[in-house]
Amino acid sequence: MTEPAFHRDEPARRSLSRIGRDVAMVLWPSFLAASLESMVFFAIFDPVYLGGGTALAELISNQNAGYALGFFFFWGFTTLSSALTVYLARTENSGSV
Amino acid sequence: MTSSDESAKDAVREEIISFYAKHEKIHPREVIGGFSKLRRIAVFALLGIFYLAPWLSWDGRQAVLFDLPGRKFYIWGLVLWPQDFIFLTWLLVLLGLSLFFFTALAGRLWCGYACPQTVWTEVFVWIEAWIEGDRNKRIKLDRAAWGFEKTLKKSTKQAIWVIFALWTGVTFVGFFVPVIDLMHGLAHLDVNGWPLFWILFYGGATYANAGFMREQVCKYMCPYARFQSAMFDRDTLIITYDQARGEPRGARSRHAPRSQDTLGDCVDCTVCVQVCPTGIDIRQGLQYECIACAACIDACDTVMDKVGYPRGLIRYTTQQAMDGQKTRILRGRTLVYGLLLGLLFTVGVVGLLNRKTADLDAIRDRNALYRETATGQIENVYLLRVLNKKMLPRTFRLTVEGLEGAVIDGGTPRWLVAGGEVYTTAIRLEAPAATIHGGHTVRFILTDDVSGQRLLAEKARFIAPP
Repeated sequence: MTEPAFHRDEPARRSLSRIGRDVAMVLWPSFLAASLESMVFFAIFDPVYLGGGTALAELISNQNAGYALGFFFFWGFTTLSSALTVYLARTENSGSV
Repeated sequence: MTSSDESAKDAVREEIISFYAKHEKIHPREVIGGFSKLRRIAVFALLGIFYLAPWLSWDGRQAVLFDLPGRKFYIWGLVLWPQDFIFLTWLLVLLGLSLFFFTALAGRLWCGYACPQTVWTEVFVWIEAWIEGDRNKRIKLDRAAWGFEKTLKKSTKQAIWVIFALWTGVTFVGFFVPVIDLMHGLAHLDVNGWPLFWILFYGGATYANAGFMREQVCKYMCPYARFQSAMFDRDTLIITYDQARGEPRGARSRHAPRSQDTLGDCVDCTVCVQVCPTGIDIRQGLQYECIACAACIDACDTVMDKVGYPRGLIRYTTQQAMDGQKTRILRGRTLVYGLLLGLLFTVGVVGLLNRKTADLDAIRDRNALYRETATGQIENVYLLRVLNKKMLPRTFRLTVEGLEGAVIDGGTPRWLVAGGEVYTTAIRLEAPAATIHGGHTVRFILTDDVSGQRLLAEKARFIAPP
């Protein structure tokens, strides 16, 4: 007696939709890029000396905040870049011109 | 409304077609065998290092601490400063190159044994199996209606997952915040601000990736999974089903004599599919979803033992060997990667061992180019930053080269600088006005006053009237 065929009829309780996959596809590579960027950037610049006497300087003078905000700042822009790339790739052939 | 209207409407009714197969949770079947043992060892070794490292002490401090506010990385005896940034770059290049080298040699070793995604997923699946039982029980539980038992099991599993994930977050933050302070804070429920945020962030990411996303991370998110095939060639170790030996596959009676059937060695038990954490069928050939965990090899070997056929219907092999040719381990690709890797490693380690143990910045005072003193000397003023990179106090002395008759502060200044501290001071460099004219390049020499070891030379400009 053999085992039944592979269970593909298991309950699909946790499905990742197309949107979900796009989000994952945007967030993860941008996260990697932002991590690398933060490492390189903060190895050279100390957040304490950034900001140049602005209100931002006050905020990031607490170094923990400086590093964290810097990371999310980078992640924001890498996310934007990834999202645009995914959008362009997805809509490449949908134009009417 | 007539029936023709109705059918016309039906005809134009849009149909929504998904381009993606609906994701169904994969319950990998438990597997016993040599490779699964190896994978287990890898999990314990890697996670052991991760969870224990912050707790180790060295020289009265945390052995591994990435002190961001202090801008110093402590790794056992090694203290890295922002000036040692080049070693971070070196490490990243080295890691990248290692990935290339090992992929060319033995395929996706990284994915199968060392990737955090694989390692943490393994632990989350262990917890799941511990609470919910083996594969069949888990599938049955998922199908069952929500009742007392299901609620109890599922919530227990979730609770353990969450605790484990949070502990992972705490450990992660323990690499950046001294773990003793962190524990003290946790015990008094007084962890706030950024450390708390990062505990939840890393813990949340662990929970989502290892508990929920699992193989989907490899399939949809991982760039390496997509481009690793570019590093493959016909001599790369891959996990393959021996089609020639296995086909035609099929179930058979255990007692039928082997010579009388026309079937290949594959008994089509599908155990190789059931154990696969990414839910593929290895018998369909090499697929990019395969993370090379070798669970199917162990599973198939167990079945082959049971039915009395030789092992290795699914095995680690190369395309070359499958085609009956000799596998070359030494070949252009591996030689170049290996050579580069060895060279880079050696250069980096030598550099690390011969790292400067001090640093010196000399900046000319901006206020005056030079000053003529009453005793007929030309005086330049410099701002000095002396950095003691060792973690013990040292006395440095400063001398100057490259300028006839030059004297610093009327002699040889000596400074005691505490371990890991920066000493800032201003010095006067004087040279006789009679013999020195125009601009000169001088070298400040920093020497360890006790050992007499010359540590480094820093160039600066000395300016005298023309």
